Amino acid sequence: MANVSGRTYGLTILSPIIEDNSRIDICHSMELRWYLSQLPRDHRSPFAKISSTYLARLVVMDDVVFVGLPACEEHLKSRYLVFETNFDGDLDTYLRRMATETGDFVNAVWSHCVGFPGTANVDAFIAYMKKCQIETTFFFADVNDRTVDSTLKALHTQASLAEFMETHQSMPVAELQQAFGRFLEELKNARPLPHGGDESRDIPQERRPNG
Amino acid sequence: MVESAAGKIDVSDIQGFVLKGYNFPHARYLLLELGAPEAARAMLMPLLKIVTTGERWDPKNKPLSTVNIGFTHRGLAALGIPLESLLSFPLEFQQGMHARGDILGDTGKNAAENWDAEWREGRVHAWLAVNARTSEALESRCAEMLQLIETTQGARLIRAQDACALFIDGKVSTQEHFGYKDGFGNPDFKGAERRCTPGQGKLDENGNWQALATGEILLGYADEAGELPPAPDPHLLGRNGTFMVYRKLHQNVATFRRYIAEKGAEYPGGPEKLSAKFIGRWKDGTPLELSPDAPNPAIVNDENRNTNFTYGADPDGAKCPLGAHIRRVHPRDAFGFNGGLVNRRRIMRRGLTYGEYVPQNQPVSDTDEHGIIFIALNASLYRQFEFIQQQWIEYGNDAHQGNAKDVLMGNHGGKGRFVVQGTADPTNPPFICGGLPNFVELRGGDYFFIPSLTALAMMATNTVDPR
Amino acid sequence: MTNINGKAYAMNAITPMKPWKTWILRLVFFILGAFKSKQQDLIQLSFIHFARWVIVKRDAFPKLSDAQPAEQLQYDYLLFFSNFNGTWDQYIDAFSAVLYDGLDKIWKWSEKYPGSRPVTGFKRYIELVQFDTDYYFNVYPHATTNDVKAAFKVSDALTEFAKTSQSLSPTEFEKAWLQFQIAVTPHLGMTGIAPVGT
Repeated sequence: MANVSGRTYGLTILSPIIEDNSRIDICHSMELRWYLSQLPRDHRSPFAKISSTYLARLVVMDDVVFVGLPACEEHLKSRYLVFETNFDGDLDTYLRRMATETGDFVNAVWSHCVGFPGTANVDAFIAYMKKCQIETTFFFADVNDRTVDSTLKALHTQASLAEFMETHQSMPVAELQQAFGRFLEELKNARPLPHGGDESRDIPQERRPNG
Repeated sequence: MVESAAGKIDVSDIQGFVLKGYNFPHARYLLLELGAPEAARAMLMPLLKIVTTGERWDPKNKPLSTVNIGFTHRGLAALGIPLESLLSFPLEFQQGMHARGDILGDTGKNAAENWDAEWREGRVHAWLAVNARTSEALESRCAEMLQLIETTQGARLIRAQDACALFIDGKVSTQEHFGYKDGFGNPDFKGAERRCTPGQGKLDENGNWQALATGEILLGYADEAGELPPAPDPHLLGRNGTFMVYRKLHQNVATFRRYIAEKGAEYPGGPEKLSAKFIGRWKDGTPLELSPDAPNPAIVNDENRNTNFTYGADPDGAKCPLGAHIRRVHPRDAFGFNGGLVNRRRIMRRGLTYGEYVPQNQPVSDTDEHGIIFIALNASLYRQFEFIQQQWIEYGNDAHQGNAKDVLMGNHGGKGRFVVQGTADPTNPPFICGGLPNFVELRGGDYFFIPSLTALAMMATNTVDPR
Repeated sequence: MTNINGKAYAMNAITPMKPWKTWILRLVFFILGAFKSKQQDLIQLSFIHFARWVIVKRDAFPKLSDAQPAEQLQYDYLLFFSNFNGTWDQYIDAFSAVLYDGLDKIWKWSEKYPGSRPVTGFKRYIELVQFDTDYYFNVYPHATTNDVKAAFKVSDALTEFAKTSQSLSPTEFEKAWLQFQIAVTPHLGMTGIAPVGT
C-alpha cells in the first residue's frame, strides 16, 4: 500500500479551488492564501489538535511549470490546494478527527474548494477528501514504527535524562539509586510536550540556547 | 610551473601564503584603509615585484620575510574595480563577515559590539601581511612597507596586528595558549607543493588518502563537485585567487584552566585526559583514536601516523568523543558515503597565535591579550568556512549531538554541555561537562579576496574589464 | 519564511513528464520499494523526516463538479514533497554528492532534467521547479530526525533499565548504571532552535 510506511500514512490531497469569474468581490485562492498566512504554526495550530500529525503542509498550487524549450508550454485550468500530511494511524480515523475536532479550520480552508460538502456530515466529508486523494507513488519515512505521542515522550525523556545525569554525576551510589527512582516517578507523571512546540515549555529553563 | 597529476598549477601566479604554510614564527598584519583609487593603485605597482609567490624556495636560501596582500569587498570598491566586477563576487563576500553574523553565530559575546573598533566599523580595506623568520626581519620589512604606504599615500594604517608563535623555554613551538599543539590536519590538494600526508586529504573507496581537487582551495580549477567554483568576472580576476577568512579569536585562558581543573578533578580520567577529550588529541598532538590512554611522542613525530586515522571503528565515541573538536570539523569517514559529504567542507588554515605565552603554573587573566588570529583559505566562503562554522561548530546535528556547540569554540553563553562518551574502563567513563562558558571570544575579522599576481597587476593598472 | 518550521524545511517540486515515461518511473519506484537495501542510503543520510513522490497522470487531476473545467494536458506530472533538516543548499549538496545515482533514476524521465551532477546546474533546475509552501506544521520543531532516532534509543534503554533499577543492590546498581550510561551517552544531544536558514 504505497500510501503507508510502517505505522505512518502519507496522505496527498489535491482539491480544486473555486474559480468564479462571475464575481469580483471574492478571489478564493487569494483569500485562502491570506487565511493560511495568519494561521498559527505552533501549539495553537489545528494540527496540534489532530495529535497524530507529524508534519503537514498546505500549498496553493497555481499552475504547473514550464521548463523551457523544447518542452511544451501548458497550463492548468484550475488552481489546486495541495494538502500533504504525515501521520500515524489509519486514514479514516484521521479524516474523522479533522472534521470533528477542527471543523472550523477545515471549513475555513476547504470552503474555497469545489464540491466541498462541509464537515457536518462526517461521512460526506471523508468521501469528498478521498475523491481528492492522489495515491502516493512512493513514500519514505525515516522513523516509521512509532507514534507522535511516543516520539514527544522520548524527546522529553532524552532531555530530562541528560539533565539528571549531568547534575547527579558525582553522587554516591546508594543516594543516586534513590534519586534515580524519584526521577523515574517524575518522568511517569511528566506533563506531555506540546504538539507543535513552544520553546519555553519543552526546554528546561537553564538550557535555553543563545541568541 | 609545477606539473601535477591533475594539471598545471601556476605557482608563480599564486600568492605564496595560499600555497604553503611558511612556518615563520613572526607575523604582522597591517590592516589598511585605502586612499584615493589612483594613490592606492600607485601603492600596488611596486608591490607586484615584492609580493611573495608560491614558487619553490631553495631550502638553504629561504627568504627572511614574505609579503602578501588581500582585500575586503569594500577594499576592491575603493580601488575602483568596475561595478559589474564587484557585483560578480559571491554574495557572502560582498556582504562581509559582520553582516553574516546571524549565520555564523556571532551573537552575544561574539557580537560586533565587542569587536575591535576597526572591524566593528568595517573600515579595513586591505590586509598587508608580513611573515618573518626573526623579529628583526619583521621590523625591517614592515618599515619598508610603511615607507611605501607613506610615499604613495596609497593607504592609511589603521592597525598593526602582531601575531607570533609561542616561544616556550626559548624555542619556537606550535602550541597555542590553552596548551594544545596545533597545526595538524590541513588538507592536501592536487598541485600543492608538499607531499601528501595520510589523513590530510580525502578517503577513496579503498581507504587510501588522496589529495583534494585543486578547486576546493583555488579559483579557476575543478573542484570536488566536478565543476569550476563560482568566481568573479572577468575570469583572470578570479583565477589563481582564493578567499580568506580572518577572525581574531580571544582566548579566556584563566577560564579554561579553571574549568579543566574543576571538571578534571571530578573526571576519573584526570584533567589531562579531559583536555584531550575536548579536542580529540592529547596536548602533545597524539590523536585519541590512535592512542586513547596516553600521549605517544612516537606517533606525534611521525607525519605518516600523526593524522592518519579514521573513526569507523569508534562509532560510539568511546575513544574520541562524538563532539570533540577535530571530529566535528574533519569528520573523515564518520558520515559514510566514502567521505562524499565531507570533501567539500575542508579549509586550509594559516593562523597564528598572538600574545605572550604563560606557563601552566603561573597566574593568568582572561583580560590579558591571548588568542589566535584564525585564518582560513577556501574557494567558497559559503560552502566551506561558513558551513563548518554554522553547522559543525555552533550546532551539532551532523555529529549527532543535537544543538550542542563545539566545546572549545562554541558561543555557549554559560549554558553549553559537552558529553564525553565512555567505556567500562574506570579511567574512561562516560562524563558530562555542563555550564560551558565561552572559552573563546570573537574580537573581529572579515572576509578577504587573495588575488593572483595577474589579478593584482590588473588592479594596479586599472585594467579590470568585466565581460 | 513559510517553507521552514523549526528544524524542518518543506520542499515542493513539480516536473512534467511525457506520459510514456511515467510507466518506467513507476517501475523504478516499484523496485525501490521492493528492495529495502536501496532505501538504506536515505536512512543513513538521516536528513529527511518524510518524503514522497506522487505521479499525477494528466487526466487524474480531481474534478469535483461539472462546472469545473476538465484539465487538458499533454504531460503527466511528478510531484515531490520533502520534509528535511538542514539548509536548502546543504540538502541538495548532499544528494548531489552521494545519492546522485538514485536521484537521476527518478528524475531523468522529467523534461529538461540536467542530471544531479555537477551541482550548480542541478540547483538551477530545482529553483525552476520548486514552489513555496503556504502553511507548514511541525509537531517537533526543535528536533531533527537524528534527534528523534537518538531519543528513541535513550528512551528504549531507559524503559529497559527502569524495570530493575530500583530492585538491585547498590553494588549491582552501580554496575548497571555504568552500563546504562555507556549505552545512552552517544545519544544525548540537546534539542532546541535551528540555525538560521535552517
